[in-house]
Amino acid sequence: MTAEETRFDAIVVGSGISGGWAAKELCEKGLKTLVLERGRDVKHIRDYPTANLAPWELPHRGFTPRKLIDENPLISKAAGYGEDTAHFFVKDKDHPYVQEKPFDWIRGYQVGGKSLIWGRACQRWSKYEFTAPERHGYGMNWPIGYDDVAPWYTHVERFIGVCGNADHLEAMPDGEYLPPFDFNCVEKHLRDRLLEHYGNRYVVQGRWAHLSKPKEIHLQQGRGTCQARNLCMRGCPFGGYFSSNSSTIPWAAKTGNLTVRPDSVVHSVLFDEVRGKASGVRVIDAKTHAVTDYQARIVFMNASALNTNLILLNSRSKRFPNGLGNDYGLLGKYVCHHDYRASANGRIDGFLDKYFFGRNPTECILVNFRNVGKQEMDFVGGYTTFTGAYRERGTPTTETVGIPFKDAQTHAGPWGIYMYMQGETIPKEANHVRLHESKTDQWGIPLLVTSVGYDDNDDKMIRDWRAEAKAMLEVAGCHNVGTRDNGQAPGLDIHEMGGCRMGSDPKRSMLNNWNQMHACPNVFVTDGACMTSTGNQSPSILYMALTARAVDHAAGELSKQNL
Amino acid sequence: MHPMNRREAVKTTGVLLGGVLITSAGVLTACTSEAPRAGSRVLSAADQSLIEEIADTLLPTSPTSPGAKAAGVGPIINLLLTDCREPDEQRRVVDGLKQFRDTVGDHFASMSQSDRENWLRRIDAEAKRDGGKHYFPLVRELSLQAYFSSEIGMTKALRYILVPGRWVGCVPLAPGQPAWA
Repeated sequence: MTAEETRFDAIVVGSGISGGWAAKELCEKGLKTLVLERGRDVKHIRDYPTANLAPWELPHRGFTPRKLIDENPLISKAAGYGEDTAHFFVKDKDHPYVQEKPFDWIRGYQVGGKSLIWGRACQRWSKYEFTAPERHGYGMNWPIGYDDVAPWYTHVERFIGVCGNADHLEAMPDGEYLPPFDFNCVEKHLRDRLLEHYGNRYVVQGRWAHLSKPKEIHLQQGRGTCQARNLCMRGCPFGGYFSSNSSTIPWAAKTGNLTVRPDSVVHSVLFDEVRGKASGVRVIDAKTHAVTDYQARIVFMNASALNTNLILLNSRSKRFPNGLGNDYGLLGKYVCHHDYRASANGRIDGFLDKYFFGRNPTECILVNFRNVGKQEMDFVGGYTTFTGAYRERGTPTTETVGIPFKDAQTHAGPWGIYMYMQGETIPKEANHVRLHESKTDQWGIPLLVTSVGYDDNDDKMIRDWRAEAKAMLEVAGCHNVGTRDNGQAPGLDIHEMGGCRMGSDPKRSMLNNWNQMHACPNVFVTDGACMTSTGNQSPSILYMALTARAVDHAAGELSKQNL
Repeated sequence: MHPMNRREAVKTTGVLLGGVLITSAGVLTACTSEAPRAGSRVLSAADQSLIEEIADTLLPTSPTSPGAKAAGVGPIINLLLTDCREPDEQRRVVDGLKQFRDTVGDHFASMSQSDRENWLRRIDAEAKRDGGKHYFPLVRELSLQAYFSSEIGMTKALRYILVPGRWVGCVPLAPGQPAWA
């Protein structure tokens, strides 16, 4: 390969939700950009083999074969995993890691990464979430606040298309939204009852990356209206939800500045000892195992939170013997996640003459009401609650056979309401990932060791959530209310964060206020690894906003010859 | 990860009606044994046709929709039992069908619908007395899964639209309108 072919202005490691954004923004600024993706190529629509299959056309009608579970006991636990989506998740045996404490590391290795199979929730963080950890003594301050990110949230919302309402709530600020999906009638009832009873508990439409009513910018991407199929995780042939594949990557390609190289496992970021900055990355071809070095003026790390940590830890040089930028032993530490352990559910009478049309791909949100702006509970942090009402299929019957039994199965049954939590967790030094001393993967790269656990704060929050969920369902008029703690391991939330956190103090953090490494300023980390704390809102859109913001800064610095 | 989580939240209380909750997540349970050889099926041809007759008795053709036999549930039940179920469940069904023949005789298929229904009511009552490990609830569950995931079950008995085109949260339920699949 000639120097011409391995030299770029910018390298982006990873093509998922944040890598796709880095690619789009860098290419739009005229920078020749190489996107490295460790998995196979997935082209929008062409590579969605199950997208248009009816349930009866799937080999097992959508029921998961035992073989798939037996061979993938870990990855098959992931929400949305099934025979219709398994091709967008890794296979357990291909990608081992070492769990010092139980941790379900859910990965999707392909162009587009997990943006094909994400949850699509796009709430903004509140100003309180950025400041609460320091104010209430459970973490370090972010080097940025809500006002720094707000214009970049807008920038992202406009492009990806987010539906929702302006609700004017401090705990969940408004953005620029397309029309929301409707409540169903029982969800309206839930909203009204909780507001009437508590005065300050708000059930609102969630904010979701779905094109309820596309604008010109979305049509230009070749995307169309969400068809309410709720088959999102197979890939959407309508481009109804946002993914790198349907949006940012083809958009970046249109500039002529983009090169995407699939099957490229990044081994490490290369450090130039003379110039004192990163010179590029080392890539191992996933299939041939051939090693190639690529050069660039800047490197964006978007490999997914834990893989970014792994690559940086494996980027060892004379200057950085413990991993790139790791002068104070912080890299891999303060890993955190969201707590999804608790859920609740109840039956509600009535509304039998009411139904719905279509399959809703979104959910309602019960906005966080704990520790908002002030510390008032016996735990720190807050929780967002996802909720919704559903109607069962089948009415109660004493018939056990024949036409009356069959007919009963075909009627719309009673309504129920469910809730589940998304709780903030505390970033702790002890919760960490590191490289295994001797075990390596099939490319000779050290295996990642995960050592991340829950703590007493999580247990207290779960107790409170379960009590409140039960009370709220009863206030709404539910009976047969149950709550549970499924005890799931960290990681299954698929919201792993941290390890390479932002902060003002280079001795206490890895990245500055522009997601730029304190000790190696031409490397930017803008995926989940950069998170200083978890907040209680869904993080993906924050990664996208931080990425666009960091690219803007990086391009400015490049033009000033500062990098 | 959110929207798929509702599946789990919905299951939290585990209250079930006459209907059996059909979710693919419902069969996502750990299994340590080896899957049978590809191509082989747990049920013999004779057992497959017997279980289809049982399913068709549970879910017969009615004025509004074709029944389980018309939906071709036999091979699907056999496939789901073979590929998606635990070995102890497979044994329970195979042994159960033998027991069924011992009790009912070999001519179930040629009996009248009402005689067949009476047999199944008797066996169902026996299963209720027997408690957890009787084969009949499992046969019924497989029948429901196979039928209500078939094209006939989903589009004639229930309603299914692959591409709804829009979501409308609150509409009246018309009298006699079947449930969404």
